[in-house]
Amino acid sequence: MSEAGTMADDGAAIGGGRAHSRARRLSIEGLNKWFGSNHVVKDLSISVEPSEFLVLLGPSGCGKTTALRIIAGLEQADSGQVLLGDTDVTNELPKYRDIAMVFQSYALYPHKTVAENIGFPLKVRGLKPDERAEAVRDAAAQVHMEELLERYPRQLSGGQRQRVALARAIVRRPSAFLMDEPLSNLDAKLRGYMRAELKHMQHELGVTTVYVTHDQVEAMTLAHRVAIMDEGALQQIGTPREVYDNPANLFVAGFMGSPPMNFIRGSIENGRFESGGGVGVPLEGEGVGGGTAAVMGFRPEDAEVADPGTGLFDTTVYAAELTGDVTLVTVALGGDTSLAIKMPKEYDVDFDRNVAVRFPLERGFLFDAASGERLSARFAVPPGAA
Amino acid sequence: MAEIPAPTPAPLPARARARGLRRWFEPARIGQMSRGGSIVVYGLLVLWSAFVLFPFYWLAITSLKLPVDVFDGPSFLPWVDFTPNLHAWADLLDFSAKSPLAETLTPYRNSVIIAFCSTALCVLIGAMAAYALARIEYKPRLGNILVFVVLMVVTAVAVGVYGVDLWIAAAVGGALFVLLARSVGRYFKRSVGNADILFWMISQRILPPVVAVVPIYMMFQKVGMLDTHLAIILTYTVVNLPIVVWLMHDFFASIPIDLEESAQLDGASRLMTFFEIVVPLARAGLAATTLLVLILSWNEYLVALFLSTTQAQTLPILVAGMNGGEKGILWWTMAVVIIIMIIPVIAMALLLQRFISKGILLGAVKG
Ligand SMILES: Nc1ncnc2c1ncn2[C@@H]1O[C@H](COP(=O)(O)OP(=O)(O)O)[C@@H](O)[C@H]1O
Ligand SMILES: [Mg+2]
Repeated sequence: MSEAGTMADDGAAIGGGRAHSRARRLSIEGLNKWFGSNHVVKDLSISVEPSEFLVLLGPSGCGKTTALRIIAGLEQADSGQVLLGDTDVTNELPKYRDIAMVFQSYALYPHKTVAENIGFPLKVRGLKPDERAEAVRDAAAQVHMEELLERYPRQLSGGQRQRVALARAIVRRPSAFLMDEPLSNLDAKLRGYMRAELKHMQHELGVTTVYVTHDQVEAMTLAHRVAIMDEGALQQIGTPREVYDNPANLFVAGFMGSPPMNFIRGSIENGRFESGGGVGVPLEGEGVGGGTAAVMGFRPEDAEVADPGTGLFDTTVYAAELTGDVTLVTVALGGDTSLAIKMPKEYDVDFDRNVAVRFPLERGFLFDAASGERLSARFAVPPGAA
Repeated sequence: MAEIPAPTPAPLPARARARGLRRWFEPARIGQMSRGGSIVVYGLLVLWSAFVLFPFYWLAITSLKLPVDVFDGPSFLPWVDFTPNLHAWADLLDFSAKSPLAETLTPYRNSVIIAFCSTALCVLIGAMAAYALARIEYKPRLGNILVFVVLMVVTAVAVGVYGVDLWIAAAVGGALFVLLARSVGRYFKRSVGNADILFWMISQRILPPVVAVVPIYMMFQKVGMLDTHLAIILTYTVVNLPIVVWLMHDFFASIPIDLEESAQLDGASRLMTFFEIVVPLARAGLAATTLLVLILSWNEYLVALFLSTTQAQTLPILVAGMNGGEKGILWWTMAVVIIIMIIPVIAMALLLQRFISKGILLGAVKG
């Protein structure tokens, strides 16, 4: 799959876009924002490298848009700083920030043609019509819209409007791009296509980009680095691979992946992780004393369904679905825990069959149930186990 | 083995077609009007149109009548009841001082100047105020407003009753306000919002104009501006402002705020955003509001009656004054004047009508 291929490149691709003289570092430091008594952004600090594609990922309502609007200058932070390059732009008006933004709604000017829409930032800056026309044509060519310059937004499809919004953002070569869920209004097929376009364009232009989304697939495929937010606070920041393979806490582990990581609640007793339903695994490392409530986690693709008695625990099959490339087996453990396991697409199993679940213990995760933080203790891999 | 038929509920018969008179009130096809319905609707429309249009018809034929036809009692059909004659219209081209229409020229010019200037001014200021109220959150403290009103009254009393010099009183009042505003504001935290301001504006129209017109007259008398265009223009502007603000506020509020934020990020200033993005999108509302205000100023009588005598006299005053004079009422001339008085407004209505179209926001947001 192509997505896996792009993911592998990500580490090397930071700053790897074409030299863009105006690409600058964008950093926010200690940003706080209250709406009344609602603390929407909590002490948020992120530094985006020049030409980096950073994705701000989090569930709906976690404060992503607010953070982005503060960077753009559309919203005033209660405390904290926004820096563009070495300049403090915290109190700068939006129009002086040299930042372009693509709105979720595209925000095209309905009474202006495509050409006038794209050319508006230049008109504002007092460029002459002929200079403008040339820049507009260039920007339109970049998003394959040269043919439709005389149309009005209402005469365009969703994908075309999206392109116009992009062209309007790139036409003035800003120091940074902000995008707020730019693909969420498109249908699934177009979204996949535009995702690739966006990634290509950002690489081509090498503009520092902050991209907001609640879709973890978009985040994984687009980002050089992903910053994951929950309830206004930064949870983890790193390359998609890092946050996927090495989640810092329960939230990140549960947010990334489709389906997300499986969790089994239990406790640490005398150096073992114990849970109802007959799960018991020895631990090694620090903090294995005992008595703490803990959560075990493993990814659906790391686990497999086996014959009863040969795995970590025995259970029954709740459902099996062929999703195309895999068969997704859901098993129930105890009353309210259900686990998802990805099996090869050839795999077939009857409902209610007795099965065992197993996974390589070095691929398991252990979290503190109360704080959600990752524990340094690991599952002891029995000697000789592959 | 004999099959047992599954018990099926008896199917309900399709709804029976309407019969008799009821059929007349059912459309023959989807998307059509029923025959009975259209007869009733069009009948009412024809009746209403006749009712509305008859005064215009009456004006038109009166302007074509000779005095004798007018005084011979009502006659309705030209060429049947009377012979049309263009004598009243011919007066239009007669610019000699004797012509009954010569004196309409100045009022006509006055009306055009006053109505168009005050409408332009009023829509410009009112639209900007409405936009500000739609987009900026104001929170003036109630305490400060109170202090302002009290100081104003005190200043007025000091000037009017005790003869304190106006400029000194105003300066002291202003200084006191600045001082008190800071301290009072600390204790009275209650503040009013945009909705309150909006309501306060429209409440200015609750007062019957006839109550306000005498003070307005005295004010302009004091500054020696009676019978000038400016006095009437300013008065009309102020009087019509609340209407413009009230109407335009909703139009502006309905424009997606994304568009304006996008314009800001594109580098536009507030004013440029207003004129480049907001006004074109609100032009349907602007056109309707302009037309309304224009008609109100064009036909205004009371204020013009008080503020103008000869120089700034407007058409409504002239027409109202035409039913006197030694020659009696010149009905035919009056009809001509009223007809030419209606023309500019109709022209503006036709001109602005094409802006009053729907769907301008289409394609602004979403796919
Ligand atoms: N202008 C506002 N006034 C009050 N609350 C707001 C405003 N904008 C956003 N919020 C609240 O702030 C929280 C975060 O919103 P937002 O930044 O839009 O989240 P996201 O983009 O991650 O979905 C939400 O609870 C939302 O209700
Ligand atoms: Mg959002």
